[in-house]
Amino acid sequence: MRNGTDRLRAVNVPQPAVVELDASGSPAKIEMRSAECGVRNGDVQESMTIEAVRETWRIDDEWWREPITRTYYEVLLHGGARLVLFMDLVTREWFVQKP
Amino acid sequence: MTVTPHLASDSAACCWIPLFALRSELARRPEIASLPVALVAPDTARTPRVWQVAPLARRAGVKPGMTVSQAIGLCPALKLCEPDPVHYDEQFARLVAALVTVSPVVEPVELGRAYVGTDGLEGLYGEPEKIVEAIQMRNVECGMRIFSEGSFASPDSHLHSALRIPHSALRVGWGIGKFVSWVAATRAKPGEAVIVPVGGEAKFLASQPLAVLPLDPDTHRRLLQLGIKTLGALVALPEEAVVSQFGSAGRRLWRLAAGLVTEPVVGRVVPEPIVAALTFFTPVGERDLLAHALDKLVDRALGDPRRSGWRVQVVRVHAELEHGASWLVAATLKDPSATREHIAAPLKTQLERSPPAGAVERLVVEFTAFAPGTAELQLFARDAGAAARAGRRRALQSAAREIALRIRRPMLYHVIEVQPWSRLPERRYALIDYEP
Repeated sequence: MRNGTDRLRAVNVPQPAVVELDASGSPAKIEMRSAECGVRNGDVQESMTIEAVRETWRIDDEWWREPITRTYYEVLLHGGARLVLFMDLVTREWFVQKP
Repeated sequence: MTVTPHLASDSAACCWIPLFALRSELARRPEIASLPVALVAPDTARTPRVWQVAPLARRAGVKPGMTVSQAIGLCPALKLCEPDPVHYDEQFARLVAALVTVSPVVEPVELGRAYVGTDGLEGLYGEPEKIVEAIQMRNVECGMRIFSEGSFASPDSHLHSALRIPHSALRVGWGIGKFVSWVAATRAKPGEAVIVPVGGEAKFLASQPLAVLPLDPDTHRRLLQLGIKTLGALVALPEEAVVSQFGSAGRRLWRLAAGLVTEPVVGRVVPEPIVAALTFFTPVGERDLLAHALDKLVDRALGDPRRSGWRVQVVRVHAELEHGASWLVAATLKDPSATREHIAAPLKTQLERSPPAGAVERLVVEFTAFAPGTAELQLFARDAGAAARAGRRRALQSAAREIALRIRRPMLYHVIEVQPWSRLPERRYALIDYEP
């Protein structure tokens, strides 16, 4: 019998991604598992070109214990797909996440 | 079937099983009885809340009305159960059906609480103690002993205790009027009864805490601020003074506290037999055609508005045959039902085994006995919406069981709000296994 703790599953957990920046520091290319960008092409790493950054916002939270600082980007991929990604400003890692 | 137009009784026995839904769930799933268990409230669409809480979980700080996320925060080992209102309703209908065998005047109030009118039962059973004993024995016979209090039952007898049935969670209070009997039931220990002698209502009520009155939180707070903690202290105030402070509600409270209000138990009138008949243009001998006609007639009888809120217990079919002969079969359903298949099945079996001796000119289906509550139309939620919700839940539970059987791991989840206000998307919601 499992207890209440392992019965809970987080939803919308950030998925790691590799992002290349352009000269101005904006994301220009993203590499991630194909399922994350909505392309059903097996579980392979896929590289996608970012056509445009539509919106940017920043989140600073939980500064009183373990600070969480992220810069979110809503981007348009080549082909028209929309994606939200963020850079963890503490670890400098990139993630994909639904808004 | 006897129809009594005015089923009412001043003397009342209040039968109360606290946490009825939770006890029903634990009786069905004894393997979780030793865990800190809580039921999720039915019909809380957006934010699931805790409904009924087992003592172990309560000790960890979990309280009814908390959100699921709050409860899990306080008690990480909490075992949350999806509610099954139809099952609880069926269990309660069993209790009510058992009580009807003691007295025809039974008034169900909420899950786990029903009043039994006891006027006129003295000739049958004797003193109130004996009437209460009969009620407790019926409760045990109908299987309610599964709602065991276990170690929560105290071995000591209550001062006013009539008798004690171990392993039963039923508490019974007897008195004149519903309020007195309800207060007496709340004072009874599990498996025991408290009897308030006739004329002793005011004395009994005087020592009871204010919480037994039907008070809104604001009135309760104001009375406590005035230093009034018992019904006796409230009654010590002049009635008009209480009315001037609390209006007409105050008058009712004062009169209840003084034992001056005698609300009778009002039973429900059992419906008359429901009849559906079909006359054939030409006499019919084919069994398939008769079976089809049976289905249609059962459907028609089920659709009678008088059947609403009742399940069918006894069904009869009679046929007028050619040349003046007749044919009759009857079936008593072990589990009263409101679905055509369950009702028609035993009739069709008898049609196959002992068919009519000739062609049938007229076929009549008659529902002659009923049990309260229905699976598809619940005792406490007789509106179509509630029935539809119960039906959907049943279908979902059935599908979930099928999936679990096929793939041997849970694949259905319930989305719960954890911190819906959080700026971090992954903190807002979580999934919890959906286990029917």
